[in-house]
Amino acid sequence: MVRWQRGLWLFFLPSFGLLALVLLWPLSYAVYLSFFDYYLGSGERTFIGLGNYVDLLTEARLWNSMRTTIIIAFGSVAVEFLVGFALALALYRLHGSAKVFSVLLFLPHIVTPVVAALFLKWMLASNWGFVDATLLTFNIEPPDWLGDPVWAKVSVILADAWVFTPLVMMVLYAALQGLDTSLLEAAQIDGASSWNTLRHVIVPALIPAIIFVISIRLMDVFRFFDLIYVLTGGGPGTATETITIYTYQLGFRMLEVGKASALGVITLIVVAMLLLTINRGLNKAYRGGDR
Amino acid sequence: MSAQSYPGRRRTTWVIFIALCVFTFINLTPLIWAVLTSLKDPRDAFTIPPTIIFEPTLKYHIEVWTENDFVFYLMNSLIISAGTVFISVPAGSLAAYALSRIPRRSAGPILSALFTIRMFPHMLLAIPFFVMGTFLNMIDTYPLLILALVAINQPFTIWLMHGFFLEIPRDLDEAAAIDGCSNWQAFRIVILPLARPGMTVAALFSLLLSYNEFLFALILTGTDTKTLPVAIASFGGEDISSWSLSAAGAIGIMLPIVLVMLLLQRHLVRGLTAGAVKG
Repeated sequence: MVRWQRGLWLFFLPSFGLLALVLLWPLSYAVYLSFFDYYLGSGERTFIGLGNYVDLLTEARLWNSMRTTIIIAFGSVAVEFLVGFALALALYRLHGSAKVFSVLLFLPHIVTPVVAALFLKWMLASNWGFVDATLLTFNIEPPDWLGDPVWAKVSVILADAWVFTPLVMMVLYAALQGLDTSLLEAAQIDGASSWNTLRHVIVPALIPAIIFVISIRLMDVFRFFDLIYVLTGGGPGTATETITIYTYQLGFRMLEVGKASALGVITLIVVAMLLLTINRGLNKAYRGGDR
Repeated sequence: MSAQSYPGRRRTTWVIFIALCVFTFINLTPLIWAVLTSLKDPRDAFTIPPTIIFEPTLKYHIEVWTENDFVFYLMNSLIISAGTVFISVPAGSLAAYALSRIPRRSAGPILSALFTIRMFPHMLLAIPFFVMGTFLNMIDTYPLLILALVAINQPFTIWLMHGFFLEIPRDLDEAAAIDGCSNWQAFRIVILPLARPGMTVAALFSLLLSYNEFLFALILTGTDTKTLPVAIASFGGEDISSWSLSAAGAIGIMLPIVLVMLLLQRHLVRGLTAGAVKG
């Protein structure tokens, strides 16, 4: 039996071979490139050690894009969590008709991201977009949704929420369905109000699912590209330029691939630290609050 | 639940029901608006207030597929998605099977390593692919994009298939082993037939991931291999006079996905949280 089990390691070969070829090798190459001043247009490449990192970290544009990313990430994850949780609770309460709702509510999430972004663009386009055309009907002067620095951020947050709230809703709804109903009944018999049941029974039981969904959403916001690219392209100016969009500009518009790689590495470090902090923080808050 | 009989509780249920109806409707407005736009002539599309009642036309749905290169882009999308699935799912299934059968203490670290890969910014992978592709003269070819998509798809496939293989009892392969089957025979004869439904699900999710993927497609394709998302993004962008046409294109791209997703409904949560659609 032991020998038989050992034979199983051969099954990993194709997959891990592929991963080494298309994932590990390119990633290490990117880290290697990040130490070079490398302009792809001329093909000239000089080793500059940590030069790219120093350059980036002392640059206003990087910090601006970092701030934008954090605003958009926390804004959209907050909206997604609150709305998604409310929807999950509503679905849980409805039993029977929940199925129809869950399919309809899920639609925005399954649409190709680029297509979803276009849908939202046609909603928000100035003058002839649905929102503006409706507001103008009532003689309300609409703001420039995608052209004003503040409103553009709000639009991007809402766009992200439109696409990803369904995912949060589904994960939490699935977790709710796994809930031990005897706990809820016990709370009811003890005369607990709905709010107290939610706070002291439902939320603590859902903590693993909540941590999970918030973590994956935060990771994804840091690498999400399609929506912002199509909706605002990072504009107006650099108002919605996240780290991901900035990396794209650096690497594929300006062809500064060395510097862009360095930015990619920085992003990775930021995401890793953020996730560690959040997991630790939520875990602690949960254990502290429950006692 | 007995508590359902309280009149107060019944009333809240109704309130929730109506609130959900309203929310769902508002939430679907962008979709409905796009469908309406795709059926409108320009004189109906650019009005204040927005026109709700008009004479619908399928003209643009036909035009976008016949008078533009959308059929060609669709072919590109299909070739690339199929290529990705045929590499990623078999390799991933083999690894996932082994992962579900080796001792836990060895499988755990591998699984968390795979989950960590999910955290990597795609940009960090896109840059070396672009640089290497330029060197090897492979930009705008199918294999390069397929390999990139396999890279982001493989961890997900393993993760998803691992769950399916865990559901197949170990006793089955142990019995096969005692009967003298090699690993490969046990897998092929005993396990594979049982794993087929799971592999179909994994294949459909991988198909969607590749069909929807935008970043790598944008960077690594050109005139010969452009996929649907890249085409529609550059097509529907700025010029509002082509609204109806690009709306028709966008709806066309969306429809097959909606169908596949309805098929996958039962597995949605598992697949999507593992990173299926929006990598």
